[in-house]
Amino acid sequence: MNFIEGLRLALESLWVNKMRSSLTILGVVIGIAAVITVVAVGQGGQAVLMAELQKIGTNIFAISVNWQEGEPLGEHDFTYQDIAVIKELVPEITYLAPTNYISAVVRGPKDKKPAQVIGTEADYAQIANVKVVKGRFLSQRPGTTRAVVVLDQALAEEIFGRLDPVGKRVTINNRPVQVIGLTKEEGGFLGIQTIKRIYVPLSFAQDISGQRIIQQMEGIVANREKISAAMAKAVIVLERRHNVKDRYKAISLEEQMKIAGKITGIITLIIGAVAGISLLVGGIGVMNIMLVSVTERTREIGIRLALGARRKDILKQFLIEAIVLCLAGGLLGIIIGAGGSMLVARLAKWPPLISFGTVLIAFAFSAAIGIFFGLYPAGRAAKMNPIEALRQE
Amino acid sequence: MITVKQLTKVYQSGKISFTALKEVSVAIEKGEFVAVMGPSGSGKSTFLNILGCLDRPTSGSYFLDNSEVSLLNEDELARVRNQKIGFVFQTFNLLPRLNILRNVELPMIYAGAPAKERRQRAQEVLNQVGLLEWAGHRPPEISGGERQRVAIARALVNQPAVILADEPTGNLDSRASTEVMTIFKKLHRQGTTIVLVTHEQEIAAYAKRILFFRDGQLIKEEIISVPPEVNNR
Ligand SMILES: Nc1ncnc2c1ncn2[C@@H]1O[C@H](COP(=O)(O)OP(=O)(O)O)[C@@H](O)[C@H]1O
Ligand SMILES: [Mg+2]
Repeated sequence: MNFIEGLRLALESLWVNKMRSSLTILGVVIGIAAVITVVAVGQGGQAVLMAELQKIGTNIFAISVNWQEGEPLGEHDFTYQDIAVIKELVPEITYLAPTNYISAVVRGPKDKKPAQVIGTEADYAQIANVKVVKGRFLSQRPGTTRAVVVLDQALAEEIFGRLDPVGKRVTINNRPVQVIGLTKEEGGFLGIQTIKRIYVPLSFAQDISGQRIIQQMEGIVANREKISAAMAKAVIVLERRHNVKDRYKAISLEEQMKIAGKITGIITLIIGAVAGISLLVGGIGVMNIMLVSVTERTREIGIRLALGARRKDILKQFLIEAIVLCLAGGLLGIIIGAGGSMLVARLAKWPPLISFGTVLIAFAFSAAIGIFFGLYPAGRAAKMNPIEALRQE
Repeated sequence: MITVKQLTKVYQSGKISFTALKEVSVAIEKGEFVAVMGPSGSGKSTFLNILGCLDRPTSGSYFLDNSEVSLLNEDELARVRNQKIGFVFQTFNLLPRLNILRNVELPMIYAGAPAKERRQRAQEVLNQVGLLEWAGHRPPEISGGERQRVAIARALVNQPAVILADEPTGNLDSRASTEVMTIFKKLHRQGTTIVLVTHEQEIAAYAKRILFFRDGQLIKEEIISVPPEVNNR
């Protein structure tokens, strides 16, 4: 008996048991669909992350202090002088600004909203590519405690209504502050509307938080090839000035994003593995029903053996049945998974990524499941004694 | 054609052993039509199953077409079942969900015959049993007698050396039985070797020789020499 005949026999048997066949593949369908969706969404997310990185720029970096446990605060803190000296000694760095991040509530005449307050100075606009649409950005006046704020346009609309906010007063954590400008934020990360960023002078941010430290500095280099060298130089300057080693850490945005990408990759892998377990469960389901099928078709097996089927013919038939079932389940799963990831992608506003490789692997995996979980039931069928099988009702 | 010597079958279930067939020796010539008779439990089916290579004897020898069957391995036995033996069962044993043509083709599929030849030959034997027009139907759609005729067509399809039938009329009314036996008679006339188990005298009367079994032993042989008109009914 050749393969085509085996396939035909298998298809015949599956067709006459349509209901059971479809129930059998359900587990595989769900498993494959789950894996496909997770992988596609994960890969799509990573692609977006990388695209975002390209947009923001790959020549931005941050330097922070590596706090040791039990170390008294203040000793190795950044100072305004540090920033000035780095700018002077490391010409590759075109802009460098202190940045303190605080979560706060902004209250306007109409409403109040939570916001991400960034305490910084003029350079930051160049580094983070802040777009000022009205009024002006912060000035470069180190140490100024002037109570001014640059609001996000959308946020300003929410807390002011139709009034023009520039020149008006708002409060940040109940401290009165004057609006000097409006910025426009693009999109938000990964299409998710993040909490709005507003900008105040560093010293004012320190007043709000009650901590007179500079959390970190952020800078930009003109030539991204030089970013590593520039970061290293800046760290050396800091180490010299504070006479300490291994205390300052510089990381480029690119590195940061890559780490984030790696993390999402790992998460994808983990969720994918969990989905893979559902595939395993699907495979066990196939085995289960194949075993039932073999038991129910004992008489059929007896008849076939009596007519001259060899044991390997029986084995082949049931194995092909299992593989065909799993491949059909796989195909359906791929289609559903593709649909699912398209849906998720649409909701999350990122491109779905169903690579040819993913589809191929899903297919190969379905076939492997068919072989793996079909072998035992098929083996059972093939081992039957013709007389006993024929005696079965 | 068939020669068995000292054929013995012992069923062992736990510590109890049961001798279903005891030292049966018999020879069946090519073209013979032999009936096997005996009370229920006398070992008729056991005997036929061994002849049909569905079962192996505990001891004794079985020559089919001059080859010793007990020396064959599983695959070779399957081949013998496929090529040399056409088995007809009391309960027809058709596959209910395949159409009649496919049912008849099955032994040829396992023989590896090409599709076209299969179809042709299956149609030919279906025509022989007068059921060609039912080829596209399924077994449940036809009567018991017709099903048994399909089963005979299936048994014939690979042109076997011998047709073995275990109570082929056991589930049929007398009219259907007559139809089925008429086919066996016709086959016999065309030279087919037939061994047929029955416990009905009238059915056995179609054969030319009757083997009587009791308690697993061949106790008597009888050559029927009936006048032609009786045999021709
Ligand atoms: N697999 C088996 N295990 C034990 N005993 C069996 C088995 N098959 C048949 N027998 C016994 O062997 C005897 C002969 O059975 P069988 O050949 O079917 O008789 P017949 O066909 O003449 O009615 C019966 O008593 C039956 O119970
Ligand atoms: Mg019997």
